[in-house]
Amino acid sequence: MLQKHGVSVPKSVLLTSKSAVSAPCVIKAQLLFGKRADFGGIKICKDKKQADDAVSKILGATFKGEQVKSVLVEDLVEMQNQYYASFLFDTDSRSPILLFSAEGGTGIEQQTNVQKLVINELAGLSEEQASTFLKSNKALAPLLVQLWTVFVKEDCKLLEINPIAQTSSGFVCLDAHVELDEFALGRHKDRVYAERPANIGRAMTEREKAVKAANDLDYHGTVKYIELDGDIAFLAAGGGGSITCMDALISAGGKPANYTEFSGDPSDEKMYILTKQAITKPGIKGCWIVGAIANFSRIDTMMSGIVRAFEEVKPKFPIVVRRSGPYEKEGFKILKDAAKKHGWNVEVFGAETPLTATAEIIVRKVHGNSA
Amino acid sequence: MAILLDKNTKVVIQGITGSTGVMAVELMLDYDTEVPAGVTPGKGGQEVHGVPVYNSVKEAKDKHDINASFIVVPPLFAKSAVFEALDNNIKFVLVFTENVPLHDAAAMIAKAREKKAVLVGPASVGMISPTLGRIGPIGGLPDMVDKIYKKGNIGIISKSGGMTNETAWVIRQAGLGQSTVIGMGGEILVGSVYADLLRLFEKDKDTKAVVIFGELGGTYEDQIAEVLKNKEFTKPLAVFIGGMFAEKLPSGVQFGHAGAIIERGKGKPSEKIDKLRKAGALIAAQHHELGEIIKEAL
Repeated sequence: MLQKHGVSVPKSVLLTSKSAVSAPCVIKAQLLFGKRADFGGIKICKDKKQADDAVSKILGATFKGEQVKSVLVEDLVEMQNQYYASFLFDTDSRSPILLFSAEGGTGIEQQTNVQKLVINELAGLSEEQASTFLKSNKALAPLLVQLWTVFVKEDCKLLEINPIAQTSSGFVCLDAHVELDEFALGRHKDRVYAERPANIGRAMTEREKAVKAANDLDYHGTVKYIELDGDIAFLAAGGGGSITCMDALISAGGKPANYTEFSGDPSDEKMYILTKQAITKPGIKGCWIVGAIANFSRIDTMMSGIVRAFEEVKPKFPIVVRRSGPYEKEGFKILKDAAKKHGWNVEVFGAETPLTATAEIIVRKVHGNSA
Repeated sequence: MAILLDKNTKVVIQGITGSTGVMAVELMLDYDTEVPAGVTPGKGGQEVHGVPVYNSVKEAKDKHDINASFIVVPPLFAKSAVFEALDNNIKFVLVFTENVPLHDAAAMIAKAREKKAVLVGPASVGMISPTLGRIGPIGGLPDMVDKIYKKGNIGIISKSGGMTNETAWVIRQAGLGQSTVIGMGGEILVGSVYADLLRLFEKDKDTKAVVIFGELGGTYEDQIAEVLKNKEFTKPLAVFIGGMFAEKLPSGVQFGHAGAIIERGKGKPSEKIDKLRKAGALIAAQHHELGEIIKEAL
């Protein structure tokens, strides 16, 4: 991506299996987290023997739960200085910003002499502006302008280069941490990057993959699911509602078996898959279905999907529902009729009972059951 | 007199012929909001619930008196729609569209600043000044909106669409009503943040107190503390901040809205609450306590 925009990077080859490499070189484990050097994921190799050893050691090894499927073998770059530069968005200025340090390399997080430049998204970063900002490091200005172009053209949320090496033949970007904006994927249809695992410090579980696949069925509404260690299946509506209810559940003494969120009037198919995945997780002792007063998400659609999953799973555990919104009467009827027919232990609350107050009700029922 | 939206607000809907546009125009008209025109390029000459559709904002403005725009176009078209509104001298633009690319959001914000216009959103569920009007589907169907929203003295700002209703509802349950209620959007970058809107509520005679729904992530909640310290907002303020649970999970996971992420140790709800409490805001430990807390403070 950097090369495409004319940014200088070291010569490298990507290895997915062991093969001959030339030295001196740097071997880098291809993983989706930083500080790889601290974990032994980056090795500087002076000769061929060291390089071969490093490749066999790193390739296939597991760091922080992620297996190394490939290593990048880069030419070792002799450098006089190393710098740090990153472009990102700042919520204080509500603008893109450039962070720069003349002391790049590892340990940048602890650095105090990082300078910040607020950039106007419309005007962009000019070479003149970059030179003024860089003061004694003016020579870097053209590179920073190039990097700004990459940041904009590639729709990055974050473009961090650490280090930028000063070599006898100019500046070379040795390592990059890039976060691409998924909302902008529609204008980068040529990209063929492999699926990224969720950023949760572990690989995605089968249930998470199933919900992700359901979410991607269509663009109508969103369903999200992250597995946790508890015993209460948690089905919450809306981004704000779900975080509010997670807090309420935990402060009431409950242990959520998952985080979840559904919003934007998802189809009953999406609700069905989400519910089924959440309630079939082993060890579930209760289910809390909760949501604020919806603006436009239909409650009858939501309940149809949920009831379909319940009919298949035949839950014996207590279920507490609190929801309100368009077509709630119809929605509640679908659920109550099915509960009566199948003998489910369901209690339904509408807007009259505060959203967060129903956390205690599900927790009481679950603890009562297990006692 | 409410903020931003009152009886004199005349809204053009950009993207009026899309499914959300059609739904929103019906709800807005039903609430007696003035919608003189809609815009969808290539659909000029049509009508949506009796509202004439034009090919461009310029055409709509030539024929009608318009002073606000509601934008419900697809995400990749939102930036140009906002630019079109601003270039045609509309000084108040509310963007409902979600999932807008960050660079586009930054461009909208920069452009609105340049034009000295007020931008709300992207990803705003809309806003309502009870009995005066509503922009967007906020409040939902007619029977719902009248149950949740009643003219009163409490201003509400929320990052979350669903929690906007819920927050208005706990105010109603406490026997109070609302002056203006705004969904500001939960994205990383939005046009109007708590600090901007609090300054407007400070000047509004009809607003006696403000209630805020906040979330983990970013610095918009932190900025409220600065506004309080600088005495730019002096009325009672009650705040709930969601997302405490995320502090116990790995950093860098996004929960809920795009902006709801603790990154590199920043954006923790506990730190936001601490700053706000020190600056004099009233903090609700549970969301449903907001109503009683603000009632007592009045």
